[in-house]
Amino acid sequence: MKKILIVEDHMDIRKLLKMTLEFDDFEIHEAATGDAGWLLARELQPDIVLLDVMMPGALNGLDVCRRIKSDPGMRHTKVIMLTARVQSDDRAAGFSAGADDYLMKPFSTLQVLETIYRMEAAL
Amino acid sequence: MRTALADPAAQAEEGGRCFDEAAAAQMERFVDDFGRMYRERNEALREVTRAHHEALLHLSAAADLKDDDTGIHIVRIGYLAEALALALGQTVGFARMLRKAAPMHDVGKIGTPDSVLKKPGKLTPEEREIMNGHAAMGAEILGRSRIPVFRMAAEVALTHHERYDGTGYPAGLAGDAIPLAGRITAVVDFFDALTMDRVYRPAFRVEEALEMLKAESGRAFDPAVVDAFLAHAEAINALRCRITQECPSFDSLIDSH
Repeated sequence: MKKILIVEDHMDIRKLLKMTLEFDDFEIHEAATGDAGWLLARELQPDIVLLDVMMPGALNGLDVCRRIKSDPGMRHTKVIMLTARVQSDDRAAGFSAGADDYLMKPFSTLQVLETIYRMEAAL
Repeated sequence: MRTALADPAAQAEEGGRCFDEAAAAQMERFVDDFGRMYRERNEALREVTRAHHEALLHLSAAADLKDDDTGIHIVRIGYLAEALALALGQTVGFARMLRKAAPMHDVGKIGTPDSVLKKPGKLTPEEREIMNGHAAMGAEILGRSRIPVFRMAAEVALTHHERYDGTGYPAGLAGDAIPLAGRITAVVDFFDALTMDRVYRPAFRVEEALEMLKAESGRAFDPAVVDAFLAHAEAINALRCRITQECPSFDSLIDSH
């Protein structure tokens, strides 16, 4: 079973993401801040991280992404950024931080699953 | 709108809310129902795929029986193709799909007249053409579906007689222009056919078959695929013997992970 970590500061959005992932069989973990997300990622070494860009705390989503991508224990980990804005700046910033894919908010339930299946196929 | 939580520590732990409670509850109901429909849809799709797959495997087995085999040949092709795909470093998903797709590669022979298929001795050019038509015929039978495993099966049926040097049929594709699934299936089909008894000859010994395979590297077959086969020849051959012995059903071919 693939291990997925959701890092998202809005509780309701996090819940909806979790419910979406529950359509299938995944081991799901959650964090509400970038800092907590990074600690949990290091501990769990998840297969896939769904990562919000804008979060309060010392680390935002891009920081967490960069850390995951330079961690030798998480070479297999795929990062999907959740970006609120349609601006291509966000996308470019995500990819330059090493993100494997991104999803636009408000997220589409089917797109979340399709993106995860695509990542899984590449794992 | 986010409403501030009274306890800042709790907020850091849980994160902020963006909906009021009733709206959040309603939205969760929607997602819940949607999830149920999603799962039911996938289940229905799986069942349809399964029934279709089983029917086509039986048709392939019928074609195989016409071709004086026992039917286990096509099952072996599936498992050997999967093993070879993994030996080539392909993903588990690709290898598994090939296991399900490759056994149907000769289904087109169902449409080849027995007078050609079972003719002892050399075929006339006209008969050869009829014989070679089984590739396209198989692709047509399999290619009517949009489901990925049957798309792959159609691709394999169409291309498993192409040769790496470009002198194969039906299209005369060369090198990497031949889809990998077809290049892999061609190799395992060759090896498996050589190492089984036919009415017109006894089985070749494994060592002989491997030599013959090596001789076709870069000619009939992709050298990279042949190399991977030779590097794992012992394990692949053990798998071949095990399948002949255990005779796994179509169910396990379709279902097992």
